[in-house]
Amino acid sequence: MARYGMLLNTRRCIGCFACRLACQMANEVPSDTSFIRYTGLESGTYPEVKAEQVMTQCQHCEDAPCVHVCPTGASHINADGVVLIDTTRCIGCRYCVVACPYDARVIDKDAGVAEKCSFCVFTDDGSVPQPNCERTCVTRARIFGDLDDPESDISKAIVKFNAKPLAGELTKSKFFYVR
Amino acid sequence: MAGGVLSKQDWLLSATTAEAADVSSDETEALVPTTCNSCSNKCGLIINTKGGRLWRVLGNADHPYNYGTVCARGQGFAQVAYSPDRLTSPMKRNDDGSFTAISWDQAYQEIGDKLKTVLSTYGPGAVAMINDPRPSGSWYSSRFIASMGSANYYTHNVACDGSRSAGFIATFGAASYTADINNAKMVVFIGRSYADGLRPTSARWLADASARGAQIVYVDPRNSITAQFATQWLPINAGTDLALLLAVANILITEDLYDHNYVENYTLGFDDWVPTLTQYTADWAAGITGIDADTITQLARDLGAAGHAGVIEQGWHAACGCQYQNSFETGRCIAAINALLGNFNQEGGALFYPAPSFGALDPDKFIKTPAASGPKAGLAEYPLQNLAQGIANVVPKMAKDGTMKACFFYNSNAAKGYSNPVSWADGLRAMDLSVDIDIMMSETAMQCDYVLPECSALERAEVSTIVADMSPQPIIDIRFQALDVLLPDTKPGAEIFTSIAQAAGLGDYFTFTSDELIKAQLATLNIDYNTLQTKGVLPVGNLWSGLGTYPTLNTPSGMFEFASQKIANNTDLTFHTPLIRWIPPMVTPGDGQFRLIAGKQSVHSHTMTTVVEALMDISREYNLERIWIPASRAADLGIADGDLVEVSNDLYTKQVEAHVTERLNPGCVWIPSHYGGTSPYNTQGYLFGCPQMDFVKFQFEDEVGCPMSHETLVSVKKVNA
Repeated sequence: MARYGMLLNTRRCIGCFACRLACQMANEVPSDTSFIRYTGLESGTYPEVKAEQVMTQCQHCEDAPCVHVCPTGASHINADGVVLIDTTRCIGCRYCVVACPYDARVIDKDAGVAEKCSFCVFTDDGSVPQPNCERTCVTRARIFGDLDDPESDISKAIVKFNAKPLAGELTKSKFFYVR
Repeated sequence: MAGGVLSKQDWLLSATTAEAADVSSDETEALVPTTCNSCSNKCGLIINTKGGRLWRVLGNADHPYNYGTVCARGQGFAQVAYSPDRLTSPMKRNDDGSFTAISWDQAYQEIGDKLKTVLSTYGPGAVAMINDPRPSGSWYSSRFIASMGSANYYTHNVACDGSRSAGFIATFGAASYTADINNAKMVVFIGRSYADGLRPTSARWLADASARGAQIVYVDPRNSITAQFATQWLPINAGTDLALLLAVANILITEDLYDHNYVENYTLGFDDWVPTLTQYTADWAAGITGIDADTITQLARDLGAAGHAGVIEQGWHAACGCQYQNSFETGRCIAAINALLGNFNQEGGALFYPAPSFGALDPDKFIKTPAASGPKAGLAEYPLQNLAQGIANVVPKMAKDGTMKACFFYNSNAAKGYSNPVSWADGLRAMDLSVDIDIMMSETAMQCDYVLPECSALERAEVSTIVADMSPQPIIDIRFQALDVLLPDTKPGAEIFTSIAQAAGLGDYFTFTSDELIKAQLATLNIDYNTLQTKGVLPVGNLWSGLGTYPTLNTPSGMFEFASQKIANNTDLTFHTPLIRWIPPMVTPGDGQFRLIAGKQSVHSHTMTTVVEALMDISREYNLERIWIPASRAADLGIADGDLVEVSNDLYTKQVEAHVTERLNPGCVWIPSHYGGTSPYNTQGYLFGCPQMDFVKFQFEDEVGCPMSHETLVSVKKVNA
């Protein structure tokens, strides 16, 4: 058993969309559907300006609104803390899409079911997932790992960079950002 | 397909049918090492298929350009194999501009006959070959043109790094070096954006350098994403980098911050150069660049303090690849500052990694091509050019003059991306024969007499490449075929070149298969084919041990030349002088005008990736086509973010949405250079966004030949204001 999470270091992220393509290809979703969203932020006045790239996706919350509102139990949290959707139980009601404060869910237009980032857990058999977004990240801005293991790269990086979830304690997210 | 004319609908249908036939329930996975074709880097990939169909594009962990990662366009461009916009059969252009599908036999026969006629009537000097170098593409295209006895081999680089590389050659005798970003105390970027013209390892090095606290100065009119790694952004007036660099050189010398040992023992012309530099004060440069004098002085002092571990990054297209009247000179001055710092082959400086090369092939099998009948066309007018790359834009110019009669293109959209598209189209239509080998109907293909469909990169094997510029250990990589050929009437470029050569009576130079060539080349380096097939990347040659040893320079004097002997010895040259001097940009924005500058975005490479739906979906979703307009000027013009604006000059007018930003020097507007496609056969990119080159005059940098693409002025107004 593990408690998987991810860290995204926006000081390294260049907003290049490599993660979006890697996610789409691994998950075999249409190219106009993405589990990863991009926000480009600009602040200041010329020439004292600052830009920041923020990629967001399912935050794998421990207090997950999508799981709370799901009427069929399709949205659930597995033994390793990964929020998953059992599409055989999903009725496409979109409660979860509305409930997610991170706008991380999309509806599969063909199957009519909700989809999102699963940390690339394709078969929920307890094997260690290898998220394709992390694997392809060109600047190594992403770190995936076990938050319960103090020696994991992600645990050490959270301490080193004082990384925080996007919305504080709001949903007990397991996705940490360095900004 | 009534009448043999292939409509777009037919095309779509035929491709969709081919795709449908490929779908199966087989989920068997395979991993095939190969190289990427989405940009000039050609990173190492591992193609992960399921049931023979592309699933994931993984990075080869051993390739120094990407070390296991892959950018968006690499993953996206792999998908082009399945694009419904691909060419499906050879095409012949009709007088009205439409195309008729023809057989390969007919294409080879007609092209061969016409080429023979051009060669016998006008001679080899009237034929040209243009390509954007790819492993087999550059090998075959250079041999193909050489087999005719023509020196007219040209590459895409004229519209990329041509001026800078020529400037480097004139000072230190090589086209580039590698800034040792991993060890530098201070790096100065002159307009190059690692985050946009993306090579994964370079971007990672920069993120690492930033994280460890290196001083990184980013000089660019635009605050690109790369600027977020910089300790300081210098929003220079576009086209004035040379003034900044001359002032830095002057301060390094007058404040005695330069490396005496290197300058006194390994350089030529320093004593003559010094008195000419005194006019280039920080105050002088401030008036031109818009960067205040104190900042310029501090920049020079910081570089001087960093010494060997301070470096001006080598650039590429960046700010002086081909954009200005002074781009060659700016390249020379970048080199000169590194020489003053004495940083050549020093830790944290400018590294010159040597590259091993393949040995000679069996001369009985790979017959030596004839000596060229004359020098490369364009050399006389542009003697300072990087001759290996050539000036491709002389081809349409000579065609219009009636002195260039045939041209072949490979993997090149020259007519859209190298200079003004109207002039290119006029030139192509004036020739007796024009042939394009590509996977899609580009704007260049649309103007050619014959368009020959290549299979996409994942569907073909190619010769090996040696990569030596990113690590002390050179490597050899190779492109293996990762997918079955999806469209039965497409062929690998190697086979196409061979067949054209045979049809034109040049078959004696192509008596081998691509596979035989690959194996023969590898044998010259004792590389085992099967091992390479397993790994995709292998070390080759010796580990570099040149750190701390000044490189041998291939200049006329063997020294670093502050005073160019090549220029001094050529009395025809009147614009460039042996000593590096200030040359202003050619045009200056007047009231209400902007300089039009352009650059890459990470999700695209040139125009060729605009055919990929997955990449264009990103462009569309995030409005990446918008023209960047400086906020202060936008306010004056009543333009708000997202407004539709009209960009115009006397050559072209186009409407596009505005991205109003504080991240741009008020003297210019910036557009991504990928969009504004005018080929209706590219259903993804057609008329999306705003092109660059259509606004650019058909012009040549004096004595160098590059297109001066940023010597372009435009006006911008709100539509329906």
